[in-house]
Amino acid sequence: MSTPAAAAGQQPEQLEAQHVHAVYDLIADHFSATRYKPWPVVDSFLREQPLGALGADVGCGNGKYLGVNPDVVMLGSDRSAKLVGICRERGFDAMICDGLMLPYRSSAFVRLRSDFAISIAVIHHFATPERRQHAIAELLRIVRPGGSVLIFVWALEQESQSRRKFDQQDVFVPWKMPKRIYAAGGAGAEGPAADGTASAAPAERTPDEVYQRYYHMFVAGELDALALATGMCSITASGYDRDNHYVILERRP
Amino acid sequence: MRLITHNMLQCHVKGCTTNNFPLQIQDAELETLEAEFNPGFVQRLIPKLHWGALYHTAVSLGIEDLPEQMPEEVTEDLLRAIHKVALETRVKEGKAVCLGCGHVYPISNGIPNMLLQDNEV
Ligand SMILES: [Zn+2]
Repeated sequence: MSTPAAAAGQQPEQLEAQHVHAVYDLIADHFSATRYKPWPVVDSFLREQPLGALGADVGCGNGKYLGVNPDVVMLGSDRSAKLVGICRERGFDAMICDGLMLPYRSSAFVRLRSDFAISIAVIHHFATPERRQHAIAELLRIVRPGGSVLIFVWALEQESQSRRKFDQQDVFVPWKMPKRIYAAGGAGAEGPAADGTASAAPAERTPDEVYQRYYHMFVAGELDALALATGMCSITASGYDRDNHYVILERRP
Repeated sequence: MRLITHNMLQCHVKGCTTNNFPLQIQDAELETLEAEFNPGFVQRLIPKLHWGALYHTAVSLGIEDLPEQMPEEVTEDLLRAIHKVALETRVKEGKAVCLGCGHVYPISNGIPNMLLQDNEV
């Protein structure tokens, strides 16, 4: 595990551009093929939304949550043009935008704001506490008073998979992309489970491509404190699930 | 981009606070993606719509299915019209232009790009 250069003076914007935005564009197809199963907490949050509710999925990735509940209108957005393109191919409506500047209607139209918003595995990619708090405030800004926001971030306390252990909060997490699957020209055609026999032949073995993604691993209580620091919400629920911390926030009037 | 999505968007260029909604769609190529009609769903959606923005945007795209004023009585015909305009009609190519500051948000392959340059934020 390598350490981000953040401490070495790299600006957070540069760090995110290089180790979040660029990486997701490069790994989009492979990433998408591994992201298909909705997490239960997210799944039930979405299914509990009433008929006709309007929701934003900020950092929607490949759109795996955009179709969970057909009785709500979902507005998907992601910073990665490649991932938004995958949403589009799947028939979903999504846009490219920055999580710190959501292009949704302003507070002048309170009744027209979203009823809810979700941000799943996104805010841990912002490289400073200020930017992470800002991202949470943006989610709350676009939601009507009384509306709810569900946020998931990676936890420093990893339980399920012992292969991931982090001794500090700001880390690079490698994304390994097998060349045999995603060689030039074949990208996106197969999922990572598709395992050709060719890979066993030493002559055809090429090194995997490894990309480093920046993460800020949250400790217990950190997400709650950051949300409360916005002064815009109360906490409806918070918990730990599948190596992640999550909160459900209610937007204050 | 569905027109209901367009109905939610506003310009977020720094300092652009007047005339920043709705974005004007120009040079549009439209497409239709059929969706299942659910009258109860559309009815619940109505209060969330900015009717004037939806109506004028539709007219600017040559779609005449909606009444200018939101009628008192909601008929099934109206619900079907809203369904068609807001949920099934999509902008495939074109641009969304802010009438306040002139910023152009390109729409390509159905996807609006709402990112700003560093000097705009
Ligand atoms: Zn503007």
